Amino acid sequence: MASAVRAEGARHPILEVRDATHRFGDVLALDRVSITAAQGEFLTILGESGSGKTTLLRIVSGLEKPSELESLRIAGQDVARVPASDRNCTTVFQHYALFPHMSVGENVEYGLKVRGVALVERRRRATEALALVRLGDKFDRRVHQLSGGERQRVALARALVTRPAILLLDEPLGALDEKLRQDMQVELLDLHRKLGLTFVYITHSQEEALTMSDRIILMRRGRIVQEGTPANIFERPATRFVADFMGMENLIPARFEGLEDGFAVARVGAHRVRGNWCGVEQAASGDQVHVGVRAERVRFAVSGDEGHPNQITCRQGQTVYKGKYVDQGAETELGTISARIWDHGLDPARITHLWWRTEDCVIVPD
Amino acid sequence: MSEGALSAAAAVAPDRVTATASFWRALSAWRGWAAIAKWLGLVVLILTYVPLMWLAVMSFSGRPLSGIPYPLTLDHYASLLGDARWVEPFITSFVMGLIVAGACMVVATMVGRSIPRMRRPGGVLLIALTPLFVPGLTMGAALFIFIRTYLELRLGAWSIFVGHLVWALPFALLMVLVIATRFDHRLLEAAEDLGAKRWRRFWDIEFPIMRPAIIGAGLFGFLLSFNELLRSIFLRGSETTMPIFNWIMAASHQSQVPIIFSLATIVLAVTLPLMGGFFWVLFTRLDRS
Repeated sequence: MASAVRAEGARHPILEVRDATHRFGDVLALDRVSITAAQGEFLTILGESGSGKTTLLRIVSGLEKPSELESLRIAGQDVARVPASDRNCTTVFQHYALFPHMSVGENVEYGLKVRGVALVERRRRATEALALVRLGDKFDRRVHQLSGGERQRVALARALVTRPAILLLDEPLGALDEKLRQDMQVELLDLHRKLGLTFVYITHSQEEALTMSDRIILMRRGRIVQEGTPANIFERPATRFVADFMGMENLIPARFEGLEDGFAVARVGAHRVRGNWCGVEQAASGDQVHVGVRAERVRFAVSGDEGHPNQITCRQGQTVYKGKYVDQGAETELGTISARIWDHGLDPARITHLWWRTEDCVIVPD
Repeated sequence: MSEGALSAAAAVAPDRVTATASFWRALSAWRGWAAIAKWLGLVVLILTYVPLMWLAVMSFSGRPLSGIPYPLTLDHYASLLGDARWVEPFITSFVMGLIVAGACMVVATMVGRSIPRMRRPGGVLLIALTPLFVPGLTMGAALFIFIRTYLELRLGAWSIFVGHLVWALPFALLMVLVIATRFDHRLLEAAEDLGAKRWRRFWDIEFPIMRPAIIGAGLFGFLLSFNELLRSIFLRGSETTMPIFNWIMAASHQSQVPIIFSLATIVLAVTLPLMGGFFWVLFTRLDRS
């Protein structure tokens, strides 16, 4: 299904940015970045602060004028020289940017008011949009009477009411607390499914990106470092940076040795580790690489239970109780390896070996 | 280290250190401060309101200069109504106040919203607000010499207007800047994102949010112009404003003084509600936004 959307999108993308470059003074915020989004896609642009993701979004909305731009098309129309007010996309800002002197309803209907929609009609549509975000009864409230989550939903309704071709969301859940954020994630996904609208979503949270997206574009220092489905980016990070950013706990420096039965082999000290090669280009023997394995994929064994792939002797390290699971450190010849244990019955003092499946291990270029 | 230094100092003159410290502590703990503050405040309030009320009461007195309210009479108000000489200055001042208020609102809004957008607003701000500290006599004389002697123009209502505007604008600007500097420019981006063009963004977003400050700027402009004497004396040409009229009347014949009493009372009755309205706007409306 997702791949069908992408194939369709490649032919008729609703959003197409080609070679956008932006400088703030001497700082290169965006370095020839190109992205496309398919009609109805949930595209997430992921990156830490300063990666250029917000700049990219502001270029799409028109609020930032790029230093250089090859082309920018929204729904087939070239909008590179069209001001933000005339572009067929709206933004949900992280800081909400609700108009403090207007009621909730007036905020929501503002986009229709500037378009000259008659009062009765725009009241009706604003009420509809508010109902969509479950605030149907809050039309006459003042903005400052609302909670953070409600303000976020008003901002969402205000952006949706004009029926844009693309909805841009700039870290919309950043200011909410943990519980509310998770509820809003579900709500956003629900809205996306219901409306069939294209979402371009900015976040620094890999968890948010993985949960919500059809496709993720990971940015760093003004460039795209990897793009793909959540599973693709999570399971097959193309570089050490991506692996680290996507929360891979164990990253061990190693030397590339070669390929064996379709798996890459890397040498760490005296050990040979096998895993999936994830780099874009093939490495040469002797190249500096990293062996990566997630804590939850590391398994423990006790003496007598041996013969597993990627097996290393270890002794018990630091144990951190986390409630649902235990973060168990293990001292090995490769250094400290963290493992996540969900099975509370295991006695860490009895551990003698750890291992991981070859499929669960990645080998990535530096 | 600091502990060492402290104990060393204590070792040198332990008695003096403790004595000085305990003196200041005792001084700041003295209960009398609250009483002094209360009485000083009361004295200032009495000095402000008693003369005002006295003036109002005396405007109804048959012998206002005697300081005795009796016999009560409306004679002064009647003679004020019968005397047409004050009407023209009053109208001049009132209209002048309105025009200065309007000019203050427009200019202070335009300048006030531009200053926070500047990269380095410090210098402009300083220059724009310095007239607050220029004495009225100096400013009046300077403008007089500049306009009359150097430009060789005829003085009149327009030059009074210039003097009043120069005087009132920094206050009005200050008023607008209080809100303009706190104005969240991201709101304008949100409006632009929703489809509003430049003019629309100003009228729909910026203007309503700044409105209390703009009204305040206008009220300030009116009051400062309506009360202005020092600059008007220099710049009046042959015009007479209300304060000039009052001043001339009070300075010349004693027989006119009762009229001044009633006139001042009327002026008070006009300006006090205006001021009240202004502060209501300032504290009630501004707080809400």
